[in-house]
Amino acid sequence: MRYVIVGGGVAGTTAAEELRKLDPESEITLICEEQHPLYSRVLLGVYVQGKVPRERTFLKKESWYEEKKIEWLRGVHVDALDTQNKFVALSDGRELSYDKLLISSGKEVRTVEYDQRGVMYFRTIDDADHIIQLLAEQGKDACGGIYGGGFIACEFLNIYEAHNIRTVLTFRGEHFWNSNLLPEAGELLLNHFRSKGVDVIAHAELKGLVGDKELEGFVTEQGEHPCTMLGIGVGILSDFSWLEEAGVKIGVGVKADKFLQTSVADVYVAGDISEFEDVYVGREMNVGTWLNAIMQGRVVAKNMTGEPTVFELVSSYAMNVLGIDIIFVGDVAKSEADDVHLVGSVRSGGVTQVFERGGRVVGGVMINRNTDRKVITDAVKSGMPVSDVLNKINT
Amino acid sequence: MIMPKIRVRVDEDLCIGAASCVTIAPETFQLNEDNKAWVLDHGEEPGGSTYERWLEVTEDEKENILLGAQSCPTLAIFIYEEDGTQIFPEM
Repeated sequence: MRYVIVGGGVAGTTAAEELRKLDPESEITLICEEQHPLYSRVLLGVYVQGKVPRERTFLKKESWYEEKKIEWLRGVHVDALDTQNKFVALSDGRELSYDKLLISSGKEVRTVEYDQRGVMYFRTIDDADHIIQLLAEQGKDACGGIYGGGFIACEFLNIYEAHNIRTVLTFRGEHFWNSNLLPEAGELLLNHFRSKGVDVIAHAELKGLVGDKELEGFVTEQGEHPCTMLGIGVGILSDFSWLEEAGVKIGVGVKADKFLQTSVADVYVAGDISEFEDVYVGREMNVGTWLNAIMQGRVVAKNMTGEPTVFELVSSYAMNVLGIDIIFVGDVAKSEADDVHLVGSVRSGGVTQVFERGGRVVGGVMINRNTDRKVITDAVKSGMPVSDVLNKINT
Repeated sequence: MIMPKIRVRVDEDLCIGAASCVTIAPETFQLNEDNKAWVLDHGEEPGGSTYERWLEVTEDEKENILLGAQSCPTLAIFIYEEDGTQIFPEM
């Protein structure tokens, strides 16, 4: 059996490891766009904050791939897929045939149209090294800007705080995560950021940069904001063109059933790029979390080796930003919910949102209310009535 | 049957509550009010809540706890053999 895996992040690498266990004699090829062995994106923020050394972010050694007899192709990507003749064409001209193919190529950062030395993105270890370089160069003269209202903006908030850098935070909507948070939760977060000395500017649209050789600031409708570093976190996207051309069904991600099988025979998907049938929340989901990627990597390997296994997970993402805990569990899209219940208040310093659809709890957001996490996770799994969940977390 | 004895430790400074260990090995890891993982002994907490304890486990249980540790995105889980040798993360 010949397995080809496109993408060497945590989903693809976990799948490779699991395939080797399940099918010791098979041929496994892992195609990676990056040059590095598997590292933890989750640790990159901590690395840039100076709390762990660079080598700690790596989860596999270079020698691991050979030890596991996994052919590791670095610095290449797939240009085309032929599902009839079952091969992929690589950017270096090679063509690789497969019996089973896994798409786990993840996502890339969405960029803004302006660029200048001092503009930073945060997705890869190369991005992290770039930020560290700028921090080292600028030292005490650094002044930090952020454009974005999501988890990457939170990473930059933590990085600037760790390096004592004055921060101006700008984002497009009313508050953070406008498609997920109710106004109370949004207000709680922004109040917290302000209490930590962050200059917060909502409804901001990036209009341009200031500075010739080096960044001196950025411009929004609200005016010019001086900064020497500007962290951008405006989302991620995938290049689906090669998959669309091959006839693979695409939505917001690569469409898959609950077995992570795509619309094309012998082609599977896992990780950030998948849009899969989520058996717990009852709709197709595209989830960009570590937990989802690693668990899909494990399950997809079973399905690829012919052991039908339903992907069952209540996904979650947790982060501490400037000392406040934020947790997302399950389906937290306001637009997909019948109702979003609010527990707690800005005044009490903690807010939980419970997302209801079809009489069931499908997700939750907790800000400084960590203990509600288990109740909501269990409720999403078990289909506990909404009123019971609200009673439980209100007490 | 001789059960292997292992020591499991969660570094509370590194733990961020990603919940991968809890998902894979819920009998050994559960998140607390600080959104960090306590170490449990087969779902129980003899002697109270703690980030570190000795466990007597079967080979299968040991394998699963190792998987839980390997799945941690911050490598916050440390596992030691009875003689003190660190088996995860590999040194």
